[in-house]
Order: sequence, then C-alpha cells, then structure tokens
Amino acid sequence: MAPMIPDALRAFSLAVLQAAGLLALAPLLKTAIKKMKARLQNRQGPPLLQGYYDLAKLLRKEPVRSETASWVFVAGPRVYFGAAVAATTLVPVLVAAAPLEGAGGILLLVGTLALGRFALATAALDTGSAFGGMGASRDMTIAALAEPALMLGLFASALAAGSLNLGSLVRSVLQHGITFHPSDLLAFAGLFIIVIAETGRIPVDNPATHLELTMIHEAMVLEYAGPDLALVEWASAVKELLYLTLLVDLFMPVGMATSARPVAIVVALLAWAGKVFLLAIAVTITESTNAKLRLFRVPELVSISLGLAFLALAIRFL
Amino acid sequence: MTTSDLLILCAAGMLVSAYLMVGQKALFTTIRLYALQSLLLGIVAATIAVSESRHELFVTAAITVVLKAMLIPWFLMRIIDKIGIHREIEPFLSVPASLLVCLGLTVVGYRVSTGFPEGARGVSHHLIGVALSMLLVGLFLMVTRKKAITQILALLTVENAVFLVAIGVTPGMPLVVELGIAFDVIVAVLLLGILVQRIVDRFESMDVSRLSKLKG
Repeated sequence: MAPMIPDALRAFSLAVLQAAGLLALAPLLKTAIKKMKARLQNRQGPPLLQGYYDLAKLLRKEPVRSETASWVFVAGPRVYFGAAVAATTLVPVLVAAAPLEGAGGILLLVGTLALGRFALATAALDTGSAFGGMGASRDMTIAALAEPALMLGLFASALAAGSLNLGSLVRSVLQHGITFHPSDLLAFAGLFIIVIAETGRIPVDNPATHLELTMIHEAMVLEYAGPDLALVEWASAVKELLYLTLLVDLFMPVGMATSARPVAIVVALLAWAGKVFLLAIAVTITESTNAKLRLFRVPELVSISLGLAFLALAIRFL
Repeated sequence: MTTSDLLILCAAGMLVSAYLMVGQKALFTTIRLYALQSLLLGIVAATIAVSESRHELFVTAAITVVLKAMLIPWFLMRIIDKIGIHREIEPFLSVPASLLVCLGLTVVGYRVSTGFPEGARGVSHHLIGVALSMLLVGLFLMVTRKKAITQILALLTVENAVFLVAIGVTPGMPLVVELGIAFDVIVAVLLLGILVQRIVDRFESMDVSRLSKLKG
C-alpha cells in the first residue's frame, strides 16, 4: 500500500477539512434522531435544519455569566469544544487513515474526550450552584464506569489488528477482509451500550428533559447561556457523531476509500452516511423502547457492557 | 459473508442474549431475549442444512423457530399476564455480582472447549465454546433466581445450548429423537406453567424459596 502518512502540511489540511465536515454534519444527526423519535411517537418533530437554527440563535445572543464565575467557567465550554474537534482528527471517516494518526491512536482519543469532560465538570463546579455540582458528580460517576468498558471494547478490536492506531486498525481489516470472531459481536454490544451512556441517551440520561431529579448532562451545563451553551451543545453533537463513526470504523469498515480517487471518496461518503444512519436508527429505537433507568441502576447497565467488553477481550485469548 | 461467519455471528448472538438475560430483571424482556436466542438457533440449523445439504435439519430449524421462538414465549407471556408479576425483584445475587460470575463461567466454558478434538480451532471451537458457556450460565441462572418463570427460561437456555452442540458439531440426531425432545420441551413448559400458577395461587408470589415453608 502507498505510504499513508503524508507530509505535515497535507495531514494538517486534511485534518481541518475532516473536522469542518464533522462539525457541519453533527447538528443534522442530532436533529435527525430527534425527528425519527418524534415520528415513532406519532408527532411531527422538528424540521431537519432545527439544529442549525438553534446554534445560530444561541451564537447571536450575549453570554450571561454568574458574578461568582471565574475563568474556569469561561474556559470549560471552550476546552470541551476544542477536545471534541481535536478528537475528530484522530478517527478515520472516509479514507482508511485518520488525518493526524501519527499523533496517537485509541489512547489519545479516549484521553482527549476525557479532557473535555474534565473541563466541563470543573466548570460546572466553579459557580458553586447546587445543580452544577450535582450534574458534574453524576456525569463523572457514569464516566468513571463507562471509560474502562470503552477501553476494553476498543482493546478487543485493537488486539485483532495488532495495533492501537485507529488508521492501521481499519487498514488491516480492509486488507485481510472481514473475519468474524464471536468477540466482535460481544465488543459491539458492549460499545453500543457505552455510546448510549456517553451521549446521554435514554436508558441512562434524557436529553429532552430539564427535570431536577433526573437530568445528568443537562444539570451540568444548566448555567450556560448564549455562545457558551452553543459550544457545549455543538461539541456534544460532534461527540455523538464521533462515537457512531468509531463503531462504523471498528466493526463495519467496508466501503471505506483506500485511495484518493474521487469515485472511491464518493462511495465512501455514501457508505459512511448510510452506516451512521443505520446506527442512528438503532439509537432511536433504543431510546423509544426503553424507560429511563433510575440513577442507581445505571451502574448495572454499564456493568453489563463492561462484562461484554471484558469477555470480548478474553475470548480472543482462548 | 461465508457460512462459517454466519454461524459464528449467530452463536455469538446467542451468548450475548444469554448474558443480557442475566442482567435483566423485567420478565417480558427476558422472554423476548429467549425468543431471540431460539430464533438464532433456528438460523444456525437452517444454515448448516443449506451448507452441508443435511435436509433433515430444515425440520429441526422449523421446529425450533415455531416452537421455541414463538409458541413457548407466547405461552410464558400469557402466564405472566395472568398472574400479573412482571419483575424479578431480588435475586439471590445482585446483578453486577452475577455478571462477574457469568464472566468467569464463560471463560471456563471457552477454555474447556479447546479440550475437545473438534474444538481445537475454527467454527466448531466457537460453537462448543458458546454452547458450554451458555450451559453454565443457564445452570447458574437457575440456582440464583427466585422466580419460577426465570428458572424455566434458564432451563430452556440450557436446552438451547445442548441443541447448539448437537446441531453444529455432531453428525446430528435421528429425527425421532429430535421430535421426542421437542415434545418433551412442550410438556415440560406446560407442566411448569401449571406449576407456576399453582405456586402463585398458594403463596401469591412466584418466589420458589417460599416453597421451603411447606416442610412440616
């Protein structure tokens, strides 16, 4: 295969291009899931561009911040957004190589996302309001449980390819063709639960509610308004798209372009969009058919995914 | 996707469903998971029937799908509706703890499967591994759950595991034996269903640990 790690300038421009593309498409995914969910409930749902309207509206407003807020509060959404954008450059989307894959693989990706979450949780504690603290504490509780499961699930896939680098992981699958191993399905099931938990979807968190007792992510960002809130919402949408792309990369990379020919890129774009859409449907169905779990039962759900991910890893050795 | 891929995928799906059964407290969902598991078993049987042209396996597949993926789940759901008990409230072991135990059991099942001459590698390794793991998980579920319905489902999971090995690894059972087993399963589920209703009538609960009160 031709050398996949191009010179720095080309990698950088590709990274900017990919980040911009994912940033542009993320609000669409979020609205699409909302719309499909509404249709399942016999409601009309928002127009497909609603995500963009919301962001435009929030970005035009002036930021309102508490008098007691320090720079940590201001930095929170910016670091969160920056981390999400940085993470988009570490994942292969259309071409079987991540733009900045020389920088690092799975560990860097998980670390970058964790940095964003840390910044947001710290910022939520900064104003000293009860809601921010409660939301941050809940979010970190779930994250502390979900992160090991995420790592184990990713490691199970990495073990098959013999590399922690997402780019070479995808390339090895494309090269050798897909060989099914029971561990793939176990890892997929485990990671799907993690994606639900990490993106704050229904069995774990309800993105559509602002009810005091149940909200997790929303409680954490309750004090933000205007552009600050826009950054948080946008970054959350990007993170969701990123997680779905990650699932596509690891378990069904078929159709991804291995060269820069325009035809291959177009095919890859269609394949990627279709696969993400399928996963979005799965997320929608999960959201619509499950009831939200009590907070104290969330660890049970996450422990299922932790078990599945561990099993996926263990079976590789047996 | 080749035949062996499909077989491995279905077997892994059966293992995942057995695993989710352990993590599940709602009885309806547990029954649906069992139905899914049986459907996957039916697909395994049909796949082998096509790929190895063993046409008698089509009968097995049909019996499996109609009986275990539709009839038995429907019957069990009707019982639950009738007695109005929908959740496993408190198993003997908490969910995370039972998941941990099942993890260990699966590892043991998979490890043991390498001891069989057929289980050395390839598809049959995974089929035997999955079946042994499901067998152990089913037995574990049977001893740690209190509700009679869950225990029936655990028994049926064990039966699915045995069937998976019988179809996937051995040259197959005579049709008479298969029909006999199918008939046994129907009778067992019917009898257990009646037993559950009797238990509920007497104790107003499905909790089989209360049966020890019957001792004089």
